[in-house]
Amino acid sequence: MSEAITKKEKTPIRARAARAPRGSKRIEQVTAPHKLKLLFTIVNRQKAELYADLLQAYDVNMQMFLSAQGTASTEMLQYLGLGDDEKVVIASIIREDLAADALHMLEEKFRTIKNGKGIAYTVPMSGTIGVAVYQFLCNHRGDRV
Amino acid sequence: MKKFEHEVIFCIVNAGFSDAVMDAAREFGARGGTVIRARGTANMEAEKLFGITVQPEKELVMILVKSAIKEDILHALYRAVGLNTPGQGIAFSMPVDQVVGLSEAPIEPKAEEQAE
Repeated sequence: MSEAITKKEKTPIRARAARAPRGSKRIEQVTAPHKLKLLFTIVNRQKAELYADLLQAYDVNMQMFLSAQGTASTEMLQYLGLGDDEKVVIASIIREDLAADALHMLEEKFRTIKNGKGIAYTVPMSGTIGVAVYQFLCNHRGDRV
Repeated sequence: MKKFEHEVIFCIVNAGFSDAVMDAAREFGARGGTVIRARGTANMEAEKLFGITVQPEKELVMILVKSAIKEDILHALYRAVGLNTPGQGIAFSMPVDQVVGLSEAPIEPKAEEQAE
């Protein structure tokens, strides 16, 4: 009995595969879930909000701010009180397909914004748990508008 | 297999040892790092059993380095601020796939080298 059921189930799948050749539209519609990355952005403390806002345009729904201190290598600047070593590490979770665009934007802003120099890098994430959490992290709204 | 050009080294040490971490890392070509204050948690039961206390105030030092010098720096950190030292540090590295904002200027030679 159970064999008969499995045979019945298998037939339509095979038939569909035969009807839809490789590369056809029907197969292209099936998309894999987006991979996620952890984007670290290290900037001066005064500019933290600015960079966090800029990143939110790249479907970043969750960001963490960590207060940090730079390890200034230019000691003379420290003696003169010019060393601005108060930093913020912004840890954002971003979709892999948007990470490159976000990094390009950051690179341009690091060059053009006064006192806005910083570094940014991405670290691949290997896993997360929970569908709702995943949908929140990759800003997958589906039919929700 | 994707080859990563940079790695980020995380080194967690007792508070006050971040300078020692950076000194050790700079010897092998690291440029700069970022220090985050943190609070460590330990197994209270184990602490009582062994009669030791784990200092909860920690510093997390993040250092972005080229993959080629990662091993040397990790070994240097183990020697300078490893678990057998007062820094009681642990260090690990993670691959970094894309980086922006790093200055590519060559590192200035040390004072002794300049004198030669």
